Amino acid sequence: MIVAEQKPLAEIRQMIKGHRKVLLVGCGSCVTVCFAGGAKEVGILASSLRLAAQIDGDDLEVTEETVLRQCEPEFVETLRRKVEDADIVVSLACGVGPQTMVEAFPNARIVPGLNTKFFGRVLGPGVWTETCAGCGNCILHLTGGICPVARCSKSLLNGPCGGSVGGKCEVSPDIKCVWQEIYDHLAVQGKAENLAEIIEEKDWSTAGHGGPRTITRKDLQI
Amino acid sequence: MLRDNRVVGAAMVVGGGIAGMQAALDLAASGIKVYLVESAPAIGGKMVQFDKTFPTNDCATCIISPKLVEVARNPNITLLAYSDVVGVKGEAGNFQARIRHKARYVDVDRCTGCGSCVEACVLRNRIPSEMNAGLGKRGAAYIPFPQAVPLAATIDPQRCLLLTAGRCNKACAKACTLNAIDFDQREWEEDISVGAIVVAPGFEPFDARLAEEYGFGRFPNVITSIQLERLLSASGPTKGKVVRQSDGQEPKRMAIIQCVGSRDRHHNYCSSVCCMFGTKGAMLAKEHIPGLECSIFMMDVRAHGKGYDAYYQRAKAQGVRYIRCRPSGLKEVPANNNLIVKYQAEDGTIREEEFDLVVLAIGMAPSWSARTLAGALNIGLNEHHFCATTKFAPLETTRPGIFAAGPFVEPMDIAESVTRGSAAAAKCLEIVGKARDTLVASRSYPIEFCQDGEVPRIGVFVCHCGTNIAGVVDVKRVAQYASTLPNVVYADTTLYACAQDTQEILKAAVQEYKLNRLVVSACTPRTHLPLFQETGKEVGLNPYLVEMANIRDQCSWVHSNDPEAATEKAKTLVRMAVARANHLHPLHTHIVPVTQNALVIGGGIAGMNAATALAAQGFGVYLVEQEDRLGGNFRQLHYTVEGYDPQVYLLDLIEQVQSNPRIQVLMGAKVLTTTGFVGNFRSTIQRNGKLEVLEHGATIVAVGGKEAHEDAYLLGQDPRVMTSLDFQVKVAADPESMAGVKNAVFIQCVNYRYCSRICCTTAIQNAMKIRELAPDANIYMLVKDVRTFGFREQYYTKAREAGIIFLRYEEREPQVEIEDGQLAVKAWDAILGEELRLPADLLVLAEAVRPLEGNAALAAALKVPLTEDGFFLEAHTKLRPVDFSAEGVFVCGLAHYPKFAEETIAQAYAAAARATIFLSKPYLEVGGIVSTVEGAKCTACLTCVRACPYQVPRINEGQVAEINPAACHGCGICVSACPAKAIHISHYDDDQLMAKSKVLIGEQA
Repeated sequence: MIVAEQKPLAEIRQMIKGHRKVLLVGCGSCVTVCFAGGAKEVGILASSLRLAAQIDGDDLEVTEETVLRQCEPEFVETLRRKVEDADIVVSLACGVGPQTMVEAFPNARIVPGLNTKFFGRVLGPGVWTETCAGCGNCILHLTGGICPVARCSKSLLNGPCGGSVGGKCEVSPDIKCVWQEIYDHLAVQGKAENLAEIIEEKDWSTAGHGGPRTITRKDLQI
Repeated sequence: MLRDNRVVGAAMVVGGGIAGMQAALDLAASGIKVYLVESAPAIGGKMVQFDKTFPTNDCATCIISPKLVEVARNPNITLLAYSDVVGVKGEAGNFQARIRHKARYVDVDRCTGCGSCVEACVLRNRIPSEMNAGLGKRGAAYIPFPQAVPLAATIDPQRCLLLTAGRCNKACAKACTLNAIDFDQREWEEDISVGAIVVAPGFEPFDARLAEEYGFGRFPNVITSIQLERLLSASGPTKGKVVRQSDGQEPKRMAIIQCVGSRDRHHNYCSSVCCMFGTKGAMLAKEHIPGLECSIFMMDVRAHGKGYDAYYQRAKAQGVRYIRCRPSGLKEVPANNNLIVKYQAEDGTIREEEFDLVVLAIGMAPSWSARTLAGALNIGLNEHHFCATTKFAPLETTRPGIFAAGPFVEPMDIAESVTRGSAAAAKCLEIVGKARDTLVASRSYPIEFCQDGEVPRIGVFVCHCGTNIAGVVDVKRVAQYASTLPNVVYADTTLYACAQDTQEILKAAVQEYKLNRLVVSACTPRTHLPLFQETGKEVGLNPYLVEMANIRDQCSWVHSNDPEAATEKAKTLVRMAVARANHLHPLHTHIVPVTQNALVIGGGIAGMNAATALAAQGFGVYLVEQEDRLGGNFRQLHYTVEGYDPQVYLLDLIEQVQSNPRIQVLMGAKVLTTTGFVGNFRSTIQRNGKLEVLEHGATIVAVGGKEAHEDAYLLGQDPRVMTSLDFQVKVAADPESMAGVKNAVFIQCVNYRYCSRICCTTAIQNAMKIRELAPDANIYMLVKDVRTFGFREQYYTKAREAGIIFLRYEEREPQVEIEDGQLAVKAWDAILGEELRLPADLLVLAEAVRPLEGNAALAAALKVPLTEDGFFLEAHTKLRPVDFSAEGVFVCGLAHYPKFAEETIAQAYAAAARATIFLSKPYLEVGGIVSTVEGAKCTACLTCVRACPYQVPRINEGQVAEINPAACHGCGICVSACPAKAIHISHYDDDQLMAKSKVLIGEQA
């Protein structure tokens, strides 16, 4: 899933400064699951904004909404009246959400409430980790199903580098050396010798460095 | 089920400590009327004195208080506190017990525990308090501790001036506005009829004055481990400050001396718990006093329980120093009252060290009053003056129908005491189960009148609680204010809301004013809500329409110096309660039928005992055994250290199981999956290649464990090297083969990861066998700590007397070598300070007891957890030792942790007792306060699945979370965790709590 986290309250307050009617729009998908922008987080942010406004004596009216997926124009459309009624909209979705909203409501002022971080998964309560880099050209079959593009600090294809010590990355002792993990995993399967084979340079043209990527499926076009 | 009309459907439990309370609660929950007889003024036993419990450092009060309240609330338990059993006539199934009620000089029914008499007593703070082990003071009129049950005062007849000298102004009686004090009270006797008896009078802490060498009572800075516990406790005499008695200063160097009153010439047993108790005290004292140096003087650290060894290692890591010596005495430094400990260090040198506080880890002694009690019950005691039981009948006393539990049987820890409490209950149920539900309270109520959605009509009652509330809060003004609140149609004050006559007033008001909500502004709902709910039910008011405002504990008691502000706060609390009452909904339970039989997984002695215990009560049992025969590990045991023949016992047990028509034995079978919930499980098993589905109401995991055969010391490579079990099998098959043994060596703690509890005793038993068969053999035992806890200590003593030589190896692992075909063990001897070469015709290894590999799959199927080591993990180490948090699933035997046969048997009975609570009812009530999922909002994020401590939510076929109301405990954790706000909990829903919060802020704003 897409993992995001909420911007600091001060930053959100700065963005909405000078606006009286604020609409918070959460998203019921990835960011709900990672506790960044679901109905509960929208509620907590709304309360925080109200409390802060009360302390500072500001006149602020906060409305809360959450749609199933903010990246879908049809779901966003259901908010039209509330968006038009608001002075500013704070989107608590990944980066796709606010852009979908802007597309739908060109006259509205839409600001992001989250910082979108990465594609990842949950390690345990309250801990998420980056697992996929969306490079567009998957090589997991060569690396024991563990991605060095996303999980090696240098995205090395033929690691480890000299900075791998005791299974840890030299960047930080909190980061596991993914090449150590790849080796250990293959060793358990008895396939460590696979690593003797050099992985050729990767075609990075799919990785988004050449402008936004689009997928067109003629068979699905109506 | 059989109904034998001579069997009385009641049981008596003697002793209200943790073991007795557990027995009482289990019996009551299974439809048996219980008389709980306690000699002291309040129940709770020794555990209420503890600050924390090892190995989790759980707060003792926090875990025992709910039990006390449960006993107090249970309509099927009649509590006979401050009473003794003076005689028992009759026989199993129909006993007449004579109870002597001591004169308390307080009418317990009238006393509300307000404490006015305690405050007024002229001897207040003059008498050493038992609760604080002599460190604090109480009066002649006293309540032992704030959470006491029954919460009533007692007048100490040995101390009261009026009762002893006939002169006192009776300040206590004058202070009591309820006229509860009655100096004319006399002790009186009554007879009660019961079908079975549990005797659990506990132990007496060893009187440290008798260990004169340590100067307790003479040296002010020598205290007992219980006194340390009171000093550590926030409710203790120093409110949690550990200080010296001589000068009130915090110690900088503390010593703990183990085995005071244990393992000596007068006590040929080990008290089992003191090593951990001392370790806990050291760790907690270090927490209280940063920089405190703690040294523990011990002979062996007996960390033989589940998680205990890890606890001991943690203590060492935190800097607790363990010194292996029992000091022969203490000297006091007169100038500063410090104490000098003279001891022999491991290297043989004699040293002296000065400490400013010395704690004596006192042992468990048999209690004198229990000896009198044993006489009254006509049951036998053993040579240590504890209760006489036998290895394979660990619950039975010498008199049929009377069962023993707790440290009256043998020194044991809390978890084992709780287990024995449940186990003794199961034994009683075998007798009185026939008369189940014949004597318990069953009530019928009028049809409820209030429909959901009706406009609320709220009645508010503001309690004076004598002067407890009204002495501070202006209750009249509070009531007047309440009458102005929304939908309040009636508001008044009452002297004692909880008094019996007030209940009639409440009921009349409900009927006269057509009240459909009740707000009682009084004390705590923890103890009193059930009473007011019951009153409501009697006039057809749904219990969930009763709300309380705690204007005593949370108001008058804490703001006694500011009556005006307290009155305002009371008004706020009442306003909040009324606001919530406006949002309450009646809740209903419905019943689901229970499949009244059990699935027992594992056909060893654990499983077979659990099966027979349940079958004896008339429940059907599926006994699933993976192998093609019953008996498990026990088949390989042929003798015990106590001299019993395990095979005689085993054959008899197998015969009982196989001949019992209620037990269906399924051999060669394996449980694959289980679905459903308590009362209604469906398990798929594989047997002879075929799948079968079994329906059952409860599950008992008794899969056992196994002796490891892990690589060590040429095991498997040399026929002279064998494990303990192999040895036993070999000796049983061919005793002659031992005759030629000249040198035998035992190595303990092989491949050590945790303590396997049984190996030390087993090795001693095997060594004694060699001594018997080859009297001249040299026998060496290489050990780390010898953990012969409880009465097993006497066999350690015997082994040393029999010339078996114990060498401690600790860090230096022994080495094995073969030279010219001669096997030898090289081991370090600390006393000689050199390496010994021990020739060995026989090398017996104490390999660990390991969990089964299949545990992970079974745990996943049953949705229960495992420990890091792979044993099944119970719901709570201390108080729920055989339960899982998933309801209706229980554990016993080696599947839980390595243990002895007697412990396994007791645990199997305990599991049976816990399962009986569910199996004994044809229907279970479900509903009430439970969580429900709003499917449309659920994103299947799994948060609730992961957060639920009871493994209830699951993602269903529709890809949304589903919570089974029959399994939900209503704790609300999932509700607060859900990021989509898709889960609601009835009775604590957002609107109800927001309503309270809003009126709280509204008034201030």
